[in-house]
Amino acid sequence: MKVCVKLLSTYRKYLPADARGSTYSLEVPAGIRIEELRAQVPVPADESQVVLINGRTPLAGQVLEESDTIAIFPAMAGG
Amino acid sequence: MQGWNGKLLRVDLTNQTVSAEDIDPQDAKDLIGGRGLAIKYLYEEMDPQVAPLSPENRLILATGPLTATPAPTGNRYMVITKSPLTGALSCSNSGGVFPTEMKRTGFDLIIFEGQAQEPVYLWVNDDQDFGELSRAVEIRPAGHIWGQDTHETEDIILAETDPKAKVACIGPAGERLARIAAIINDKHRAAARSGVGAVMGSKNLKAVAVRGTKKVACAEPEKMRELCRQVRAEVAEAVKKGTSLNLYGTAYVPAVTNEIGILPTRNFQTGMFDGVEGITGHVLREKYLIRPKPCFGCPIACGRLTRVEDPVYSGEGEGPEYETIAALGSACGVDNLAAITKANYLCNELGLDTISIGATISCAMELHEKGYLPEEDIGMPLHFGDADAMIEMVKLAGMREGFGDLLAEGSYRLAKKYGHPEYSISAKKQEFPGYDPRGSKGMGLLYATSNIGASHMAGDLAYMEVFGVPKKLDPLTIEKKPWYIKHFEDIFAIIDAAGLCVFLTIRYLCDPTHEVMPTRLTELLNCATGAAYTVDSLLEAGDRIYSLERMFLVKAGFSRADDTLPPRMLEEPMPEGPAKGHVVELDEMLDEFYALRGWDENGIPTQEKLESLGLSW
Repeated sequence: MKVCVKLLSTYRKYLPADARGSTYSLEVPAGIRIEELRAQVPVPADESQVVLINGRTPLAGQVLEESDTIAIFPAMAGG
Repeated sequence: MQGWNGKLLRVDLTNQTVSAEDIDPQDAKDLIGGRGLAIKYLYEEMDPQVAPLSPENRLILATGPLTATPAPTGNRYMVITKSPLTGALSCSNSGGVFPTEMKRTGFDLIIFEGQAQEPVYLWVNDDQDFGELSRAVEIRPAGHIWGQDTHETEDIILAETDPKAKVACIGPAGERLARIAAIINDKHRAAARSGVGAVMGSKNLKAVAVRGTKKVACAEPEKMRELCRQVRAEVAEAVKKGTSLNLYGTAYVPAVTNEIGILPTRNFQTGMFDGVEGITGHVLREKYLIRPKPCFGCPIACGRLTRVEDPVYSGEGEGPEYETIAALGSACGVDNLAAITKANYLCNELGLDTISIGATISCAMELHEKGYLPEEDIGMPLHFGDADAMIEMVKLAGMREGFGDLLAEGSYRLAKKYGHPEYSISAKKQEFPGYDPRGSKGMGLLYATSNIGASHMAGDLAYMEVFGVPKKLDPLTIEKKPWYIKHFEDIFAIIDAAGLCVFLTIRYLCDPTHEVMPTRLTELLNCATGAAYTVDSLLEAGDRIYSLERMFLVKAGFSRADDTLPPRMLEEPMPEGPAKGHVVELDEMLDEFYALRGWDENGIPTQEKLESLGLSW
C-alpha cells in the first residue's frame, strides 16, 4: 500500500528528488506499524522530534492505513 | 543591589518633571523585576478603572534583572499599562537592542504619568553626571517629529541626540490612538499587543531615546560567566547542526500548524490553508532573506533581515514572523509571501500590531463576504485572498484614514458596529494569535483566561501541544491542560519578569524531564541577583505576579463572564482536518483552572490565596 511522508522544517533536506513540495510517496507492506515506517525514513533520530499520522499524535504501535500521511519535524520553539 | 539597578525613573509629563526613586529590594526579590515590578506600581498607584487613554493611566517600560547581563537573550523589556483595546492589562514584550541600552542607563523601569500638552520625547543620557538627574534626563519637544513614521522618527532623534542611542517610538497609528498601535524599537522590533502605542500617543509621547554605558553588576560573576558559557555552547552546537529558528525564523511554523489543522484560515473559518507551501519558512529563506538578525546577545538569531525586489511589494526590513504570516496571510486567505512581507514592513513603519491588524482585516473580509459590511463603507471590494486590498487596509488603518478609522479600533468594535460581534475572533477584545484553539485545547483555556486577552505570550502551551517541547502533548484532549496552563502562565511571568526571551529559556533553561521546571533559570537569576531563589520560590513569584495582575483585572471590573471565547470556538466544530469536529470545551476546564489558581468560581483570587503570596487587596 502507499503512504505519504511529509518532512517539515529542517528535515526538508532529507526529501528525495521526486518529492512534491514537502511530501513523497512510499510503498509499504500492509499492516506496517508507525515505528517500522519511521525506521524507513532517512531522517536521523538523534534529536527530539514530532511524528504525526494525519496530523494527529499517534498511539504506540499504531498500524498505518492506505493513504495515511506521516509528518516528521524537529521539536522546536514556536512562533 | 546586583542584577537589578535598584532605581526607577519617573516622568511626569503633565508637569514636565523627572525624578529617580529607589526600588525596594524586597519587592524586587518577591516580584523578580520587569513585568512583576511594573504591575506592583500600576496596581498601587493607579485606579484600575481609569480610562486607558486618559492622563491618569500609567505607561511603564520595564527591564528585568537579567536584561543587559551576560545571560543569553537577556535583551527583553516589557511595556505595562492599562490597555485601550481590552480595558484589561497590557504586558507587551520586545527585544532588539533598546532594552539592553535602557537598562544600562542605570534605571530598571521608566514610569510615565500624566500627559504632555505638546508632543515630546524623552532623552535619557547616562553619559552625563548621573548625580544631576536634570542633566541626564530631558523631556524634549517633538512637534517637528509628530506625523513621521517610526523609521524617520528614529533617524531624526539619533541625529539630535547621539548616533549610539537606541530609540523606542510610535508611528502615525499610535499618534492617532489606534487601539492596535504598537511601540516600535530599533525600527523593526515591536512591543505590539494591546494598543500600548495608543497609550503612548495619548500622552503626547512620541519616543524614548536612551544611551546607557553602565555595566550591570552580577552577584556571582564567575559562576554567571561559566553558566552562560555552557548554555551558549549548547545553543551553538544545535545551531551548527541546523535549527528551525536559525534557518527559517519562526516562519517555519505555518507548515506545522497547517499539518495539525490549526493554521488560522479565512478568519478562523478553518484550520487548513491551501496556500501554505507558499508562505512558509523555506520560501522566505530562498527568496527574501538577506541574513538572520539576532537581538542583543542572542545565539539563536531567529530575526529575519529581508528584502523584497518585486516592484509591486518592494522594500527592506525585518520579518515576517510566524504570527504575522498567519494574521496577514492565511487568516486573510493571502498566499503571497512578498505581499505579506510588504504589509509587515508597513506595520513596523506605521506602528501597528501585525496580529491584530491582520485579524481585524480578516474579520472585515468575512463581514463583507457575508453581506454585513457594504463595499461603499470600505471604499473597495474586500475579499479573502486579495493581497493588494489587504495591504491597502494596513495603510488606511495605520493612518486612520477612510475605512481604516474603523479597522484601527480592532476587530471587536468593528464587528459590533456592523451587528455581528461574533465574527471578531478575539478574547477580551484582543485578536487571537496563530493557533486555532479548537485543535489546541490548552491554548483555548489560555486565550480565555489570560490577563491580557488572547495571547500566546501569556503561557504558550503550543510548545507542548504543537511543537513537542519538551515533549508532545495531544492537543485535542483537555486532560491536565488546566494544570499546564497555570504552570506555563507562571513560567512565562517569570521569564518576562527576568528580562529573557522565551525561545531560549523554555528549551535551554528549564528542566525538560520535570514538566518544564525553571532549574537553570533559577541558577541564572541567583548568579545575577544573589537573591537565593529556589525553583519553588521562583514559581511562587510567578504565581504572585500572575495573581497581582488578576487583582488589577478584578478591580477593573473583570470576572468569569469575561474569561470566554467567541461562539465559533465554543459551538462551531472545526470543519475539516485533524481537528475536524472539535470545539473548545472551555467550561469543563475553567473550574479546575480556577481551583488550581486559588481563585473562586467567579475567577476572583481568594483571601487565603492572596495571604499565602503576601498580597492583599
